[in-house]
Amino acid sequence: MNIREIAKRAGVSVATVSRVLNHPEAVAEKTRKKIEEIISEEEYTPNWFARGLNFNKTGTIGLMIPHVLNSVYMEMAKGVEDVANQKEYTTFMCNAEDDRKKEIHYLDQLIKKRVDGIVLISSMLEAEDLKRVKEQNVPLVMVGGCKSNPGFDSVNIDCRLGAEEAVNHLINIGYTKIAILCSKTESHDNKEKIAGYRDELDRVGIPIRSEYIKRVENSIEGGYLGAKKLMEINERPQAIFTTSDNIAFGVMDAIKDKDLLIPEQVAVVGFDNVRLSNLVSPRINTVDTPLHKMGVYGARLLFDIIEDEKKQNEPRTIILQTKLKIRKSCGHKERIGEMF
Amino acid sequence: MTETNFLGMKMKNPIMIAAGPWSRDGKSIKRCFKTGVGAVVTESIVSDTMLDVRPRIAYNGSGAQNIRLYSDVQVEGWEREMKIAKSSGGIVIASVSAQTPSEIAYLATKLEKFGADAIEISVSNPMWQSLEVMASNPETIYDMTKEVVSNVNIPVITKLSQNTTNISLVAKAVKEAGGSAVSAINTIRCILGVDIDNAKPTLGTYGGYSGAPIKPLGLASVATIAQSVNIPLSGIGGVEKHQDVLEYIMLGADTVQIGTTMMVDGPEKVKEIVNDLELWCEEKNISSISEIKGKALKNLRSFDEMKIEPATSTVSSVPCDVDCDKCIRACIYGAISKEKGNVNVNKKICNGCGLCTFVCPPKKLKMQW
Repeated sequence: MNIREIAKRAGVSVATVSRVLNHPEAVAEKTRKKIEEIISEEEYTPNWFARGLNFNKTGTIGLMIPHVLNSVYMEMAKGVEDVANQKEYTTFMCNAEDDRKKEIHYLDQLIKKRVDGIVLISSMLEAEDLKRVKEQNVPLVMVGGCKSNPGFDSVNIDCRLGAEEAVNHLINIGYTKIAILCSKTESHDNKEKIAGYRDELDRVGIPIRSEYIKRVENSIEGGYLGAKKLMEINERPQAIFTTSDNIAFGVMDAIKDKDLLIPEQVAVVGFDNVRLSNLVSPRINTVDTPLHKMGVYGARLLFDIIEDEKKQNEPRTIILQTKLKIRKSCGHKERIGEMF
Repeated sequence: MTETNFLGMKMKNPIMIAAGPWSRDGKSIKRCFKTGVGAVVTESIVSDTMLDVRPRIAYNGSGAQNIRLYSDVQVEGWEREMKIAKSSGGIVIASVSAQTPSEIAYLATKLEKFGADAIEISVSNPMWQSLEVMASNPETIYDMTKEVVSNVNIPVITKLSQNTTNISLVAKAVKEAGGSAVSAINTIRCILGVDIDNAKPTLGTYGGYSGAPIKPLGLASVATIAQSVNIPLSGIGGVEKHQDVLEYIMLGADTVQIGTTMMVDGPEKVKEIVNDLELWCEEKNISSISEIKGKALKNLRSFDEMKIEPATSTVSSVPCDVDCDKCIRACIYGAISKEKGNVNVNKKICNGCGLCTFVCPPKKLKMQW
């Protein structure tokens, strides 16, 4: 039963039924009672979507993530959902699979469904795709390293600084042959991570060797294959910095397959600090990223726009802090480093 | 008599409740106000609340260690809590804690909107961060303070740490960034002790030390700031009685915050301190706290300026019937002896160090020349 059928049965217009639902005080008592009786007989409940059409609010937000199987994005998604839930909003999550076309399609669908706002996590979209969204005035916030951001509010970390700290740690231990396995994904974050790696080597005068820089798929498999290639180089790297913990897991697998020891023969540093990085053996040194908090801030900025609390027009950026977690995969000799 | 105007906020007295679990939500802040204090600082509000470890507070009879005391109410929830806290009409200062300028500014703008009368930036906790407390670095403090100041229209107080080489540089950074005031000091990095039977450090990790033992450190920090930077100042650290409040004020503090005493001895004790301060001012005919502010600073010199006076401990034959030999044991130079109920100091041997005058329970010994 929909609102049209209710109106037909009651012999009134759709607008009258709508008024009974939304502003009952504006409807004559006799008519109101009659319509209310039909509504209760038919067990009709107005659906949220239709309500959205009426009130410009659907109580829903859209959330786009690049990969549903990657725990990094699940932690961020949880942050978004936690805030949305507190605001009594429902979150619709779309899994873009690093595919720009798929992301555009989902984005269009979310807008068609009239979500009140959208959080994009590590978006693959180009400036032109996003400009279209901007023109439609849909509240939108970008979280994590997105490919392009034509002036939306955003939440980020300083990836270059994070990479610099990780590589600096390797240099301090005494390694000079340091390789990087970087995710293939063309994001701002990945560019920054490679830049941080180069900066740090430059700073101490270690020559940058192109065979030590490899782009791999952002997955355990990608890390495995990349590390295998690195192990075949004549001058095998002493340490491998990876742009995600997932890549680092694959690297560790490849090193173990070669019967080499971590960290004695090859040291490994990851990025993200996902739960598992502290559970594998040896526990991985990694750049801790406040994933949940990034999601939380993404949603907070979004609700500020939805609730019209954002005062200024220029885009706001919240930068959150990364922190090097020193554990067992780099061969740092001093125990104190483990704690801080 | 004890009314204080702090950063334009009219307070009944210069005593404030410091940030901590005793001011964790609206209801507990209302409880704090029942002590009669002039203002209450909320427990530090963070971006993303975490489950608190248990146990997290330890006490050894004089000092306390805590390992993580942040509000477990999300910032969204503080809209409601602030309303409750402010319902009794008192001054509520929101303590916010974060790792980056944009993050802390976001929290501050929210709390301003929810009705906080002022912001206290709390990035001086010695826990979690690293070996280096964020507030030990003047540049970091400048950036944090500046970002908050440029985003809110209420006073911004930056809480400083004693865990820094030169606290006056950090206080100067707050002033340069446009901060309205500084508060000092936050807890100090500590390990309360080690259970030697099990080789276990108390609470299992580093934490922040507070309570009476840190008062001398707080006093020194407050005096240093008062002498080097012209900025309103809230003194914190080990306040257990009204005399402690007065000590902080005489060394340059405008207001004084109480934390550990509220935690260990409860609100009744704080009420007592508030009343005692009122009485003291009445007795001494003090019409305004500002009359005594910084009064002790003129008697505080750098070591270079200290005058050398030929003082020695009191002359011979001081009758003393207390059954103790503390002065004799404490005399490094062997100048003190006790005979037939009289204490004698050999003036030729006494070198004027002064220690005996502090260890003597009935205060029989005095420095003279």
